[in-house]
Amino acid sequence: MRAAAVSDALLEIENYSGAFRNEDGGLVPVLHQVSYRLKTGKITAVVGETGSGKSLTALSVLGIQPPTFVRSSGRILFRSVDLLTLDARGLRAIRGSEISMVFQDARAALNPVFTVGRQLADVHRLHHGGSQRAAMKRAVEALSRVSIPEPERRARQYPHEYSGGMAQRAMIAMAALICQPSLLILDEPTTGLDVTIQSDIMELIVELTRSRGLTTCLITHDLGVVAETCDEVVVMNAGRVVETGSAEAIFTRPADPYTQRLLSASQMLEAA
Amino acid sequence: MSSDEVMAPPSLPTSQAQVHARPRRRRWRTTWSLRIGLAALVFYVAVALLSLVWTPYDPLVPGIGDGYDAPSLAFPLGTDRLGSDMLSRLMMGARYDLGIALTAVAIALTIGSALGVVAGYFGGAFDTIAMRAVEIFQAFPGLLFAMLVVQAVGAGIVNVILVLSFVGIPDYLRLARAEIQAKRNWQYAEAARLAGNPRWRVAFRHLLPNSVGPLLAFTSINAAFAALVTASLGFLGLGLSPNTPEWGNMIARGQDGVMTGQWWVSFFPGLAILGLTGSLYLLGDALADLADPRRRR
Amino acid sequence: MSALLQVRALSKLFPAGGGRRLRAVDGVSLELEAGETLALVGESGSGKSTVARCLVRLVEPSGGEVTLDGQSILSLPPKALARQYRRIQMVFQDPNASLNPRMRVREVLEEPLRLHLDLAPPARADRACELIERVGLGVVHLDRYPHELSGGQRQRVGIARAIAVSPDIVILDEPTSSLDVSVRGQILDLLLDLQQRLGLAYLFISHDLQVVRHVADRVAVMYLGVIVEQGPTERVFAEPRHPYTRALLSATPMARWGIARTRLRLVGEITSPIDPPDACRLVGRCPLAQPSCAARRPELIDLGDRHAVACPIATQSPHPGAPLRAANERIPTC
Repeated sequence: MRAAAVSDALLEIENYSGAFRNEDGGLVPVLHQVSYRLKTGKITAVVGETGSGKSLTALSVLGIQPPTFVRSSGRILFRSVDLLTLDARGLRAIRGSEISMVFQDARAALNPVFTVGRQLADVHRLHHGGSQRAAMKRAVEALSRVSIPEPERRARQYPHEYSGGMAQRAMIAMAALICQPSLLILDEPTTGLDVTIQSDIMELIVELTRSRGLTTCLITHDLGVVAETCDEVVVMNAGRVVETGSAEAIFTRPADPYTQRLLSASQMLEAA
Repeated sequence: MSSDEVMAPPSLPTSQAQVHARPRRRRWRTTWSLRIGLAALVFYVAVALLSLVWTPYDPLVPGIGDGYDAPSLAFPLGTDRLGSDMLSRLMMGARYDLGIALTAVAIALTIGSALGVVAGYFGGAFDTIAMRAVEIFQAFPGLLFAMLVVQAVGAGIVNVILVLSFVGIPDYLRLARAEIQAKRNWQYAEAARLAGNPRWRVAFRHLLPNSVGPLLAFTSINAAFAALVTASLGFLGLGLSPNTPEWGNMIARGQDGVMTGQWWVSFFPGLAILGLTGSLYLLGDALADLADPRRRR
Repeated sequence: MSALLQVRALSKLFPAGGGRRLRAVDGVSLELEAGETLALVGESGSGKSTVARCLVRLVEPSGGEVTLDGQSILSLPPKALARQYRRIQMVFQDPNASLNPRMRVREVLEEPLRLHLDLAPPARADRACELIERVGLGVVHLDRYPHELSGGQRQRVGIARAIAVSPDIVILDEPTSSLDVSVRGQILDLLLDLQQRLGLAYLFISHDLQVVRHVADRVAVMYLGVIVEQGPTERVFAEPRHPYTRALLSATPMARWGIARTRLRLVGEITSPIDPPDACRLVGRCPLAQPSCAARRPELIDLGDRHAVACPIATQSPHPGAPLRAANERIPTC
């Protein structure tokens, strides 16, 4: 809280560098002095292609980077606390309750043997306590809030009975509504979904961010999604941040050659 | 479901995570299983080959020693009841036990995987019949089956090999079928069809070579089993003719000695079997690890 | 005038357990002429990839007719079918999965040459060099294994394999969807270049409307196994008539600043493709739906200029934009 007064950024990544240890014990550098800020209450897109390090950086925020990743420098400040110095307990206290994350494959992130409602209710009780019945009520409310039709019936269903788009809605309900975080990280939340579903999910993300005052970080390779939904953009390439700026600036006056190339490659296909 | 599980699903979304997920200790163990297993197998093969050109004494001639000579400088592993040199017989036995096991496994591997590929790729009635046959067949214990058949058709090296390979076929069939079924609709199989390959060529030239890992890993385990059954048949007097220096035979011949203190007559052939099967199991274990798709690039 | 490739009433049913059947493709008719690109567009489950696989019989169709230059493909015995693969080839979606990991690029390219053409080994080697250069790679790449190549390079090899035997038709099954944006453009340019030089006809399967607009002469939009609209690309993009086409177009995000979209939303339950009723497949989600839509399945209605739409309601309204928006407002959104 103290830091929020000083800085307008909820999360600041400073000079974060690191490498993967390969099978022979050698180090392969993958992140180079990555620095960016997530402004409070804004939607920031972290854009990059395969191997840009965009997901790896985000996983590091939650301390769930792959075990072979070795950090060489940098800080990740959340409300002025360096997350990289926290122990497992400290991280657990922040994960889920302060920062939560949505992954690309929502159906893989849901446990197949429990109903979706039960999983949401369990997470609710974990964070807020209360009775099973009250938690289930909140779970149904959350599903209804993310526009899942017939939430009572859907809550009693298992993940395999959900379509990909529906499962992603349920995961967003869990991450944004049940956990009630201040920072929501979405890692390619619409990749692999059909465009009609993708637009609906993105609208939901924007709407939840605005109405609940969330700070949202959207990791994506798709500039099209970014143009319509995000306030700030961070462009990453080959483990480096090449450009940051407001969405308008990035789309209308890209300064970095890589950003320009990426943008023109995305626009080349649009005859609009 | 705890919140940690929610936040970190079992498969991390980065591809690097999967490549590197294997714990280091496991890898270390695999490497050593491979080295020890391979070294021991090479040793057995070398001994078998050496026995073709040289053994300390003629293994088949009795009365070289007095009978039941304890291990000494002249007879490092002693002599048996008839005074044949144990070391020479043991060396020659490697030819039988190793040869039978490897030949049987090679036959089973070839026939079993060919049938498995056909069943897995073409499916249909053949697949159904093959799988039912495998299920029925596997309801019998392998050793019991081998004993009954050898009893019925008569002993002899060819019969033992045929029976052992027959016992192995269902396992290879199942393995190959599962591998092919999993890959049948992979795009490279479809691409191979469009390149003009007839279906059998897609199955055998494109799919089978990409499935050899698990099959080869299993051959090692299977060879250990075959060696054990060979020795068991020999011990029960169902295998080769009683005078053949096959390790199972030799143990049987030394049985009386165990009671009266001449332990070496049974002990060394037993040790040889243990060493062979043990090293094959080690090797198979390591190969199975290496054939694990998560480790393959 | 007969088209190079003609597809009539193609259907494919998969058993779905309990005697029920999944209608993956249900009465699809298409024509592809020499040298043109027809795009088959749809979302997951629309059956577009099944159509592609049926045309080359990687999947055996349940019904319908496919003719190549007037000759039926579906009745051919295996050997004669393999010979037809000289004329019709395919590029697969995932270049990682469509190349045999144990074959070098050279073997990948020479295999179709060996099986289809009667070439001496030196001539095959020459042809492999020519092919690899034609797709923008170098002779050094011939001795690489697929895992030693990047995704874009692998897809170039996949393309070289498809054009190796000089086919007339290449089916492109989502050839760029597994590639990064910057590589995607290069591969599309390569495909356009090859089409011009070799006079290829493309059947381009895609879910990505932007890509389709870039490459296709004509577009056919599929939804749940049925073609709902087809026509010349510019016509379909400028004046989409079917509600599904319009929803799809309005949902496609643009990588540009300050473009406001008016979205046509499809809200409601998706019709199950398992034994679907004889009705419009969109009826549960369509903002234009009328009782008559549930009564029987609408046929494609010809609007002239090869533009056809399977929706009697959308084709009746003179101003397709106006009633749609009004209808849309009734639907509660998020």
